[in-house]
Amino acid sequence: MTPRPADSSTTTDLAILRALRAHPQGHVSGAELAQQLGITRAAIWNRIRELRLHGYDISASPQLGYRLESAPDLLLRDDLLAQLGGTRVVGRDIQVFQQTASTNDIVEKLARDGVREGAVVLAESQTRGRGRLGRKWVSPPGRGLWCSVLLRPRLAPSQATRLTILAAVALARAIRDTTGLEPEIKWPNDLLLRGRKVAGILTEMHAEVEQVRHVILGIGVNVNLEATDLPPELRSVATSLKLELGVAVDRAALLVALLHHLDEGYARLGQGHFDELAAEWADRCGTLGRNVCIRTGSREIRGCAESLDDAGALLVRTEHGHLERIIGGEVTLTR
Amino acid sequence: MQEQGPVRLLLFCLNAAAWAADAIGEFPNPHHAVDLKDIKVIIDLMKKNSLSEFELEKEGFKIKLKRGGASVVSAGVPVDWPVVPAAPPAVAVPAAPAPAVPVPAPKPTDEELIKSPMIGTFYRAPAPDASAYVEVGAEVNPESVVCIIEAMKVMNEIKAEAPGVIVEVIAENGKPVEFGQPLFKIRPA
Repeated sequence: MTPRPADSSTTTDLAILRALRAHPQGHVSGAELAQQLGITRAAIWNRIRELRLHGYDISASPQLGYRLESAPDLLLRDDLLAQLGGTRVVGRDIQVFQQTASTNDIVEKLARDGVREGAVVLAESQTRGRGRLGRKWVSPPGRGLWCSVLLRPRLAPSQATRLTILAAVALARAIRDTTGLEPEIKWPNDLLLRGRKVAGILTEMHAEVEQVRHVILGIGVNVNLEATDLPPELRSVATSLKLELGVAVDRAALLVALLHHLDEGYARLGQGHFDELAAEWADRCGTLGRNVCIRTGSREIRGCAESLDDAGALLVRTEHGHLERIIGGEVTLTR
Repeated sequence: MQEQGPVRLLLFCLNAAAWAADAIGEFPNPHHAVDLKDIKVIIDLMKKNSLSEFELEKEGFKIKLKRGGASVVSAGVPVDWPVVPAAPPAVAVPAAPAPAVPVPAPKPTDEELIKSPMIGTFYRAPAPDASAYVEVGAEVNPESVVCIIEAMKVMNEIKAEAPGVIVEVIAENGKPVEFGQPLFKIRPA
C-alpha cells in the first residue's frame, strides 16, 4: 500500500472552486474564503493565480472579491469534484490521466487492490480504448469523455446486465440534460443519435458463482469529435454530440450530469427499484418493438424484440412464436 | 538506454537556455553562466504560460521541450555540433560549462536510472489506496507503467522505456520531483 499524503493545495483549490461555482453570478470574498479555509488571503491569491494558469478566467475586484468568468475545456479533478458536490457512491474519488491504454485497465487494477466502489478514472486520450468483442474504440485527445467506474454491487452474476441498463439510462439522461438531444438506446450498450452511434458502454464483470465481485462500467462518449476524427469506415455509422448539435459541448458538465445520474440510479437499484430503470430504458429503447437479428457465436436468432426481463436481458419473439432470452450478441435491426 | 543522450542534451539545453534568455526578457542572469536552474526556468515559463511545447531554432541549432506526455524531451542535434556556438556575444557561454551541470557520477556498470521527464508530484500507485505499480524486484518491459507524475493536476503514466528489473525506488511517494530527477534504478535485461 502506498498512502498518498493529503495534498493541501488540491484541497484548497477544491474549496475555492466549490465556492466560486456556488456563486455563478456573484462574487466570493477573499477574506471569507481565507477565514473559511484557515489560510491567509495571500495564500488564496496564490491559488487563484495558479488556477488562472490552468485557464480559469477568475476576475478579482478589491471591493467585491473573486468571480469565475469562464472555465477551460479541461477535465480537472478538483473542479469535477467541486461541480459534483457530494454523491453517495459514484464519483467519491476521481482521477484524470493524460493518456492511458484504457481507463478500464486502470480501474481493473484498482478493483484488484480492493479500492472501494465509486472510483472514477478519466483519460484525455486512450491508446487502446476498446468496445465490446475486443473492438477498438477511437479516443482522440481532449474531444471525448472516456471514463470507467468501479462498482461492487450486491447482485448475482446473472443480474449484472442491470448495470448496463443503468449506465445507458444515466448516460441518455446526462446527454439530454447537457445538450437537449434525446439519444435512442440500442440494446444492449449503444446510444444513437439519428441512427448513428454517439456513445458506448462496456461492462466488465468479475464474479464468483453466486456473487459479483466487481463491475467496471466503461463509458465512452464522442463529445466534441470532428468528422475527421472518425475513421472513414465509421463516418456513416458514428457521430458526436458536436456534429449533431453544431456547437461544442462542455465535457465537464456532461460528466458531472452522468455521475449524478449513475449515482442516483445505482442507489435506486440497490433499493430494489430496477423496474423504474427498466421502464425508462424501454421508453428510450429503439430496439423494442422492432424486428431484430441477433448473432451469438454461430447462432442466429430472428424475431421481434418484445421486452426486457428482470435481469436486463432482451426477450425476443422468434419467427416460430416462442420467446428467446438474449443476454448478449450482435444485434442488428431488420425490417 | 543511450549512454550519450542525457549529457548531450544537457549541453544542448545550456546554450539554448542562453538564447532563450535573449528571447525572453525575464530570464534571470542572462550574461553569466547558465546552469540547470536556467533550464528549469524555461520549463517553469512553459508551465506558467500553459505551453506544452517549446521550440527554439537559431543558427543551425534547435531545442525542443515538450510537457505533459510520456516522451517529454526531444532534441534535434545537428551533425556538426560545436560545443561553443557562434552565439551573440551577450550570451557567450563560459569556457567550461560542463562542470556546472550535475551530470550523474559514473554509475555502476550494470544499472540505469529511470528519470522524471517532467516537474510534478511522484506517485507510485494510480489511486491513494491502490498498490504500487512496481516494487523492487519487479520485471518491467518498455511499456510497463512504473509510476505516475501528476502535473497540472493531470496524471501522467511513466513507462520503463527499456526492459529490466527494478532494483531501487529512489523517489519518495507523494513528493515533488524535478525534471530529470532519478525515480528508479533499473538493471537492464
